[in-house]
Amino acid sequence: MNRINSKVDYSRYGYMFIAPFVIAWLIFGLYPIIFTFRIAFTDLTYWRLDEMQFVGMQNFRNLFDPTNPISTNFWSALGNTLIMWLWNFAPQIIMALLLGWWFTDHRLNIRGKGAFKVLIFMPNTITAATIATLFYSLFGFPIAPINTVLQQIGMINTPIEFFRNVDFSRGLISFLQWWMWYGNTMIILMAGMMGINSSIFEAGMVDGCTGGQTFRYITLPLLKPILLYNLVTSMIGGLQMFDIPHLMTEGRPNNTTNTVARFIYTQAFTGSNNFNVGAAASIILFGIIMVLSVILFVLMADREPKQRKVK
Amino acid sequence: MKKMLALLLCVLMLVPCFSFAQADEKITINVWSFTDELEGILNTYYKPAHPDVEINYILYSTEEFFQEKLPTIMASAPTSADAPDVFALEADYAKYWVESDYTASLYDLGFTDEELATAVPAVVDFARGTDGTPKALSWQCTPGALFYRTSLAEQYLGVTTPEEFQELVADWDTFVETAEELNEDSEGAVKMFNSIGDIYKPFFYQRATGWVSDGKLVIDPAMVELMELSKYCEEENLYNKGTQWEETWYYGMANDTTMCFFLPTWGLHYTLKPNAGGAAVGEGTYGDWSMVEGPVGYSWGGTWLGASAPKVAEMDDAKKAAVKELIEFCTIDPEFLTAYAKESGDFVSNTAVVDAIVAEGGMPNDFLGGQDHYSAFAKSALLINANATTGYDGVANSLFTDNALTPYIKGEVDMKTALNAFADQMAATYADVDVTDAKAAIEAME
Repeated sequence: MNRINSKVDYSRYGYMFIAPFVIAWLIFGLYPIIFTFRIAFTDLTYWRLDEMQFVGMQNFRNLFDPTNPISTNFWSALGNTLIMWLWNFAPQIIMALLLGWWFTDHRLNIRGKGAFKVLIFMPNTITAATIATLFYSLFGFPIAPINTVLQQIGMINTPIEFFRNVDFSRGLISFLQWWMWYGNTMIILMAGMMGINSSIFEAGMVDGCTGGQTFRYITLPLLKPILLYNLVTSMIGGLQMFDIPHLMTEGRPNNTTNTVARFIYTQAFTGSNNFNVGAAASIILFGIIMVLSVILFVLMADREPKQRKVK
Repeated sequence: MKKMLALLLCVLMLVPCFSFAQADEKITINVWSFTDELEGILNTYYKPAHPDVEINYILYSTEEFFQEKLPTIMASAPTSADAPDVFALEADYAKYWVESDYTASLYDLGFTDEELATAVPAVVDFARGTDGTPKALSWQCTPGALFYRTSLAEQYLGVTTPEEFQELVADWDTFVETAEELNEDSEGAVKMFNSIGDIYKPFFYQRATGWVSDGKLVIDPAMVELMELSKYCEEENLYNKGTQWEETWYYGMANDTTMCFFLPTWGLHYTLKPNAGGAAVGEGTYGDWSMVEGPVGYSWGGTWLGASAPKVAEMDDAKKAAVKELIEFCTIDPEFLTAYAKESGDFVSNTAVVDAIVAEGGMPNDFLGGQDHYSAFAKSALLINANATTGYDGVANSLFTDNALTPYIKGEVDMKTALNAFADQMAATYADVDVTDAKAAIEAME
């Protein structure tokens, strides 16, 4: 055998290794996506696949028709989702940045860093279902732990019906999302911070930067790609918010904690199984997420000075 | 060599994927269910009596079963080998399935009217298709009753017998008057009932028309009456303001805060009794309860058994007979039902069995201070009117509670806004329900 001329084509092994994933994804990932686009233009309800008819843009028109209750539900759900996401995301990123900065700053050198990181990350390991059920019973009415404690210490005379209050219900959902995810965001930001070349920090120290200045002029700008990644993933996750609102408040009171994902779910899986509306709403949500992501990328992109053309 | 080894390993890994077909004479019946109650019946009673039948039992959670599993299999592959031959239907969803073509007529399975006549009429009537064909049967009948605290009734209302108490709750007006008297006499310590959910079912069974009639939403006057009565009770603090299946509700069962609970047959054994705070007379509220019919006859829950129409159409006679025998054994067979009733205390659907048990002296229940719950439920069973139930009930009831009833009684919206919100949600949830007439009727209200 001529060893020099025989070439082993390793690339085909690579394809073999990724084949199971790709095949599974084509069947369970890509096909449903294509199918969703298809049924968004049909009148599919009640699982009646064999009676499905194409109706053009009708479902989208319904979703944009202000006199149609479906449309009212969808846009109010989108508003609720954005409010609850913002109230979770803003504190989350601030908290994560602050904690990440403290934990990575060599000058602070906090003791028991590992323990703190684990504790902060811990809520993320509990399932959303558990958290939703736990907090729902904590804030129950009229006999429930929080109400009983508040009455015993004399802060209130009569029990409060927490979940009839819109701001409280939304606030609690935002808080739980924040509480579950700030540890996760912190870990990602810390990874980004530790990836910054320490010689830059040393140079800053030599030049007499204060801690704040280091953070403002070195850490933040170099962290931009990670921040962008976080912003986009959190936005996608936030717009798809489902588990906690669904399990804790079920959209109550008066659909003010209903989210877009819950809207899609209730359309498709309760009542007359309006898969057509659910699919159309999914596509609109997909469009919104795409537009917002592009805007974020453009806003956060590095604006490098254009090179002058040298003649 | 390595290639051979790799090949061998691959083959070994694939082996478990193929189960070797066994030569077996047994008839296999696929049973899909959402309740382990049925599993118990099959394992304890059916299987020992039918060694020649193999039961392939699959259990799902209620929501998963009716919103995903059953609709998906029936829409995609109703005749596949894994698809159910027999399925259990829960009261809230049963109507949709028996009105669809997916559930086989009991006549097609070989049932006769004489056989069906042995069951409590409300049980058979509940599971009739749109043309009146019976489609499913149940081993139980689930009449609701009103349970009240004997000692509290004597202390605050001065009544000592169930007959006297029934007079105080004979209709909703007297019910509210009694609630007011109780609230005053106990200085607010004891309330007449615990949650709005408790009085919901009785009102629900008082309707003349179901939620949807001829594809149109109908808001029956009984539901408006429920909203007004609930709001009055809310404002006057006549109930505990609890919610069913939550802390306050269970607290009321074990403590002296609640006079009455509206519960059906299973509610007595699985809800009230285990939560009474004791297991013998004198402990908690055990033994301090009595039962009466209450203001109106009603039913709550229940499990029906039906057969899959696409499967029945393809079955050979032997299998069809086996499926019929399965449903018949679990829902009509007097021997099984008698044994099951005595073992579980459940109220069964066969009138002859019920009459025989009542004639033998019924089932004196020490939880009810010696009262015989069997003869009391036998009375309540005849009061049920299941004609206004529809396949929309499960979803419609929660939409009504969330969008109309609760916001209205909490004083957040007025009656018209509340009912309009409900009508809108019905329109958004059901593509096939027309709400125009209902909205016009709401506008025309005073």
